[in-house]
Amino acid sequence: MQNIFIEKTKSTPQIEFDTQSHILSIEGQSYPENAFKFYEPVFQWLDTQLEQSQREVILELNFHMPYINTSSSKCIMMLLEKLENSYRKGKKITIRWYYNEDNEVALECAEEFKEDLTLPFDLCMVEET
Amino acid sequence: MTQKSNDLKENTHTGKGIIYDSGTIKVVAFACVIIFIAVVLTGAVSYFITRAAVVERLKTHDLIYMLEEVSAKIDGRIERAKETALLLSRDQTVIQWIISAEQDERLGLYSKKKIDEIAHNYDYANAFIVSKVTNHYWAEGSRIIQTMTESDPNAKWFFDTIASGKAIDVKIDHDGIRQETFIFINTLVGAAENPIAVAGVGLRLEDIAEEFRKHKFSETSKLWLVDKQGKIHLSDDVSQNGRSLREFIPDVVFSKIIEDHMPIDYRSLEYTDAYGEIIDMAYKSTESTDWKLVLQIPRNESIAVLGSIKSNTAIAGMITLLLMIFIFYVISHRIADPLKRAILLTQEMESQVDERTKELAEKNQEVMDSITYAKRLQEAILATREDLDCVLGDYFVLWKPRDTVGGDFFWAHRMASGSGFIALVDCTGHGVPGAFMTMVVNSALHDIIVQGMITPAEILTELNRRIKAILHRNNHGQITDDGLDIGICYVDRAHKQIVFAGAKLALYIKQGAKVRVIKGDKQSIGYRSLPSDLKFTNHKLACLPGDHIYLTTDGYIDQNGGEKNYSLGRTRLLQLISKYEKISMLEQREAFETDLNTYMGSEQQRDDITMVGFLMK
Repeated sequence: MQNIFIEKTKSTPQIEFDTQSHILSIEGQSYPENAFKFYEPVFQWLDTQLEQSQREVILELNFHMPYINTSSSKCIMMLLEKLENSYRKGKKITIRWYYNEDNEVALECAEEFKEDLTLPFDLCMVEET
Repeated sequence: MTQKSNDLKENTHTGKGIIYDSGTIKVVAFACVIIFIAVVLTGAVSYFITRAAVVERLKTHDLIYMLEEVSAKIDGRIERAKETALLLSRDQTVIQWIISAEQDERLGLYSKKKIDEIAHNYDYANAFIVSKVTNHYWAEGSRIIQTMTESDPNAKWFFDTIASGKAIDVKIDHDGIRQETFIFINTLVGAAENPIAVAGVGLRLEDIAEEFRKHKFSETSKLWLVDKQGKIHLSDDVSQNGRSLREFIPDVVFSKIIEDHMPIDYRSLEYTDAYGEIIDMAYKSTESTDWKLVLQIPRNESIAVLGSIKSNTAIAGMITLLLMIFIFYVISHRIADPLKRAILLTQEMESQVDERTKELAEKNQEVMDSITYAKRLQEAILATREDLDCVLGDYFVLWKPRDTVGGDFFWAHRMASGSGFIALVDCTGHGVPGAFMTMVVNSALHDIIVQGMITPAEILTELNRRIKAILHRNNHGQITDDGLDIGICYVDRAHKQIVFAGAKLALYIKQGAKVRVIKGDKQSIGYRSLPSDLKFTNHKLACLPGDHIYLTTDGYIDQNGGEKNYSLGRTRLLQLISKYEKISMLEQREAFETDLNTYMGSEQQRDDITMVGFLMK
């Protein structure tokens, strides 16, 4: 599997694929001026991953995004839809969505994403330290 | 910005000022002081070393050399006198003459001539033969100047010499007859135990004093010839002859010199006189007499040569100092040069940056002018006060685009009946792209309402169809997906009724103490993935006078801030709505804004924020 790494900025999350554990992590706030441009490489990477591996794909995704603006949430939705399609085709995909205990907007957002999906989608609360 | 860059320029233009700032001057001054100290120290040390060496040489060499020389002269003179005296006393013709009791004319002529020859040709004060046979005192000039008798004190020396048995004897004596002090060299003629006469020569002390004067070291130096008692027999200053050495040097020094019974070796010593001057002294015994030669020189005189060394050293030091400072200056200048170049380069770069900043500022200004103009257009599409007054009555509107223009707007339409529509629209994105969307949505809404759509849900369905048609006609290959969230409300104040339909935008209604959230439908409007015939739900709400009704875009609850920098959240919004129960709509606008600003703190506004609230009367 190919690697992907995008460094974190104030308005964009860190995106990293761990080739060892096969876990894609998206961590951080997302409100870039042009969300589609930011997420395009991720879409391409994901398309390649899903197409190339005809064998059984095991893909875990960890999300931890305290804030997602409207256009970013559209992109995340598109990403999740791609995964949902692959899942329905028999690929093994699981999603873990982390949210902070007191961040209700993040939880609401995650719940909205989860609603339309059938793939395994775990909501994990991160307790405040 | 312009002011600041001007300040920078002023600071950097004087490049020399930067290179030679107070720090550099301090370093230069410090180095100069160090060099100065080093030079002075070197000079002083070398001066004192030289001085010590000179004094050492003076004591162990120069003074002694002088004494040796004078002593040698005196001794030489006396030795010569001895030989001359012996020449006379051992002359067989002279002896024969004396034995003949000066009767032999021929011998007498020779002898008298011999006396004269010795006195004149060998440069003696006198020459003499005193016969024991006749007791005649023959002097130069063929004359008998005295006939010795034992009773005569002036003749005592003769009888003493005869009796002494010393073949040769040196006596310094004042000659009563000649009225002068002489060094007499007395030799016995014939056998020492039975001499027949005393022959000799006399040296004037004055002649030796001449030697003293020749060897005078300096104006204030003194040279004395003293006897065992310290009586001065000879001085370079004639007036001191006959006086005691004690009168010219301290007692302690005097005693030390007089009591020193060394043979011929020299000694030197120093003492400080009453004026605080250091005086060097050296003395030695003469070989031919048991007298002492004493030399006295003030230290200042003897090391006067150091004065020129001192001034030369000072001049050399000054030259070294000036050279060092000059070299240091040149070096520091050369070293400073790259720095200067760097500063000039920096200045050049700064001016380029300034220029580009200026260009950018101009471009920015152009863009901002354009956007500011666009803001006027956007404000023109916002619901008018007349429409809002008519539809909502007692209300407030909070419209805070994140940038000059934004993707949020509020729309109103009044019906002839006095009822009307209020809508809050949040288009994807903000800034200029958001603003474009608002124009599209606004015109679509107007078209729809003109065509006589009655319920909010119908309006949203039609809006979805139209926006999809407008936005997604020609963008194949591009991943863009734009749409909007909207909350629209039909307000019939006469019948205390509202009908709400929402596309991802909620309505909040406070009835009594209770605040309800009417979430609306989960679907947005206009996105590519949505079906064109999307249906929306009408929520009919019966109201009571005093109900507070709010519509807000997600900008308010999404705004980050607080301790953990999370979004404000829906729960907090509900708390605020409850909290503002008692205050007027106009005051609520201030309150919502103030509380939002407090929550934001120093964080920037994340999204466009729009909120409409009204009171059902």
